[in-house]
Amino acid sequence: MKLNFTCLSVLLVAIVSYGLYQLSYEVQKLERDLQILHASISGNEESIRILKAEWAYQNRPDVLQTLANKHLPLLLIAPYQVAGLSELPEIAVSALTDPKDVPRPRLNPKRDYSKPVELPKGAVRLATFSRTGEPQ
Amino acid sequence: MSEMTWLPKSTRPRLKLPVSAGNRNKQPSGISLRLEGSAKETLEQGRTRLVMAGAIFAFCFVILAGRLIGLALSGDDGQDRALTHNDTRGIAAYGEGMRAEIRDRNGVLLATTLKTASLFAEPKNVIDRQELASKLSVVLDDMSEAVILSKLASAKNFVWLKRNLTPNQQFEINSLGIPGLHFKEEEKRFYPMGTLASHLLGYTDVDNRGIAGVEKYFDGQLSGSGTEPKRIDLSIDVRIQHALRDELSRYMSIFRAIGAAGMVMDVKTGEVLAMASLPDFDPNRPNDFSGDSKFNKVSLGVYEMGSTFKTFTVAMALEAGKVGIYGGYDATKPIRKAGFRIRDDHPKKRWLSVPEIYMYSSNIGASKMADDVGAKNHKAFLAKIGMLDKPSIELPEIGAPILPPRWNSLETMTISFGHGLSVSPLQLSTGIAAMINGGNYVNPTVIRRDLNKGLLVREVISAKTSDTIRRLMRLVVEKGTGSQAAAKGYLVGGKTGTAEKVEGGRYKRNALLTSFVSAFPMNNPRYVVLAMLDEPKGNASTHGFRSAGWTAAPIIGRLISRIGPILGIAPIDEESDAVKKAMFIPINSREKKLASF
Repeated sequence: MKLNFTCLSVLLVAIVSYGLYQLSYEVQKLERDLQILHASISGNEESIRILKAEWAYQNRPDVLQTLANKHLPLLLIAPYQVAGLSELPEIAVSALTDPKDVPRPRLNPKRDYSKPVELPKGAVRLATFSRTGEPQ
Repeated sequence: MSEMTWLPKSTRPRLKLPVSAGNRNKQPSGISLRLEGSAKETLEQGRTRLVMAGAIFAFCFVILAGRLIGLALSGDDGQDRALTHNDTRGIAAYGEGMRAEIRDRNGVLLATTLKTASLFAEPKNVIDRQELASKLSVVLDDMSEAVILSKLASAKNFVWLKRNLTPNQQFEINSLGIPGLHFKEEEKRFYPMGTLASHLLGYTDVDNRGIAGVEKYFDGQLSGSGTEPKRIDLSIDVRIQHALRDELSRYMSIFRAIGAAGMVMDVKTGEVLAMASLPDFDPNRPNDFSGDSKFNKVSLGVYEMGSTFKTFTVAMALEAGKVGIYGGYDATKPIRKAGFRIRDDHPKKRWLSVPEIYMYSSNIGASKMADDVGAKNHKAFLAKIGMLDKPSIELPEIGAPILPPRWNSLETMTISFGHGLSVSPLQLSTGIAAMINGGNYVNPTVIRRDLNKGLLVREVISAKTSDTIRRLMRLVVEKGTGSQAAAKGYLVGGKTGTAEKVEGGRYKRNALLTSFVSAFPMNNPRYVVLAMLDEPKGNASTHGFRSAGWTAAPIIGRLISRIGPILGIAPIDEESDAVKKAMFIPINSREKKLASF
């Protein structure tokens, strides 16, 4: 009886300590992962900041003006060239039109229309791009 | 003692002794021996110590076991070990603590801070200098092999090769894999728009401290001394700023002017939508430009603005009730006073009504009008519309107006047509905005205003006078000196101003400062637009003229056609009855229409 009790205690202690060390290692690993994630977030933020500056630089009004002058037949706008949305002609759609006759946008044959894979609860989908260049 | 065993408390430790024949105590065999005296005490003591030690050990182990189980079950005392932002072990979120961004009113980036790598070498650790130089000169195209070699030749342990590399250059240098080259991360302020709003933004020194413009004025907020750095949204719009700068530089070269300045301002909120001063500089490399190009002509420069001041004179006279819109003054002969001669540039040599004085820009009429009001009232009126004090705007470069040493009848007469009092173009625009927005003075600002918060305004003239001024300004563009400013459809109104520059206390006849201050659309003014040229020269297209109506007014005409659609102002039919009615003003001319023969 005594022996059983002793064995049981020793076994219990062994199991509990093993579990605790496992937990400890797991936490350490998670903290390492977290650190890596933080580093990569920081790196991405840096990239975003650089890209934003680059975007602003490439969209300088004088650059856009030069490009517009080169590629678009635009001159100084005359007042009669300015119109509001309300001045656009409205094409009335008859209620009696057969919906079958109304042209529908064709599906893009290159695009994958299958449903995206369901992620387990709590998972995060990172922004990726498919082969065709569409954001997923 | 060899047979001593641990027994329950009820039994005492006994020593079994073999029964000897000579034992005096006649006890049956197997009866244990009871120790008495000192032997017993010693044994009892030992036993007690043993129990005590055992109990202490047991206690410790129970605590350890309890803690072990506790840890295994619940974790670390329930303390949340989730890493917060402050606990990222040295990896601060990118951009934290860096100088904050400056954006325009639509969120377009005007200034940002980036971390850049700077390349340095340890010449002692470089194995093959020749190879390094030849490889590096390929990547850094602005540095020749010889320059790199000469830098490496120094005996120092540390040599800067190039500051602030581009990410591409850093990548290429890394992939060269040359030992002895190292990078150091530095922060650098970038202005993606370059020269576009240079005077407004200002620039920073090598330590990223603002030393001009908004960078200086909001240095504390941007660098976050003691607090988190906070972004600044300016009131300017890069599209309008570009249109203004583009038109100014275009006409500056057409009329071979030495400088130009201009601004666009919201009359209701006082927000500056664009502010340009030419020549300007690139805040990314301020050291490459002269001090002259860093001078902000709009806020720091003060000039005698010329006839644009007649707007204030007329408003003041109408407000004071000294003259009505049907009234007028005799402008037949120039005025001689204290050795000065006040004459007209476009002399009509007859009696002129108030609208005529304004549209033909008669100095004689304006002088008489101001003289009627009186020097004291004139000064008080100009002080009320902020012409005599430094304007308050969020820029460190603010010029104080230059007042005449004394202000008597003669000074009032000259100031009535804009000579003798120097103000900045910013002050002039703010004053004109007050004249046409219904008579309320609004402080100018370069920071985007939250319109939900109340706006502090000060009434300076009545709404009725303001309405008359609108019609008069429209009249100038419709029939007077500013016809070239007419941007069809936007109902532009304005006033020309041609002033001779003062140099060494004398007016220079051949150096003019032409300006045009305008507003649109005149039936409900939304924006004040000002353009100014410094020393324009006439050319064939202006028949040699270089007054404001020929040089400054066309800038306004083109500029408003460009910015009108951006500002969301729909063009209207200027010939429609409603517009004509709203802009009608009786001229009451006494000009002889028919030849009397």
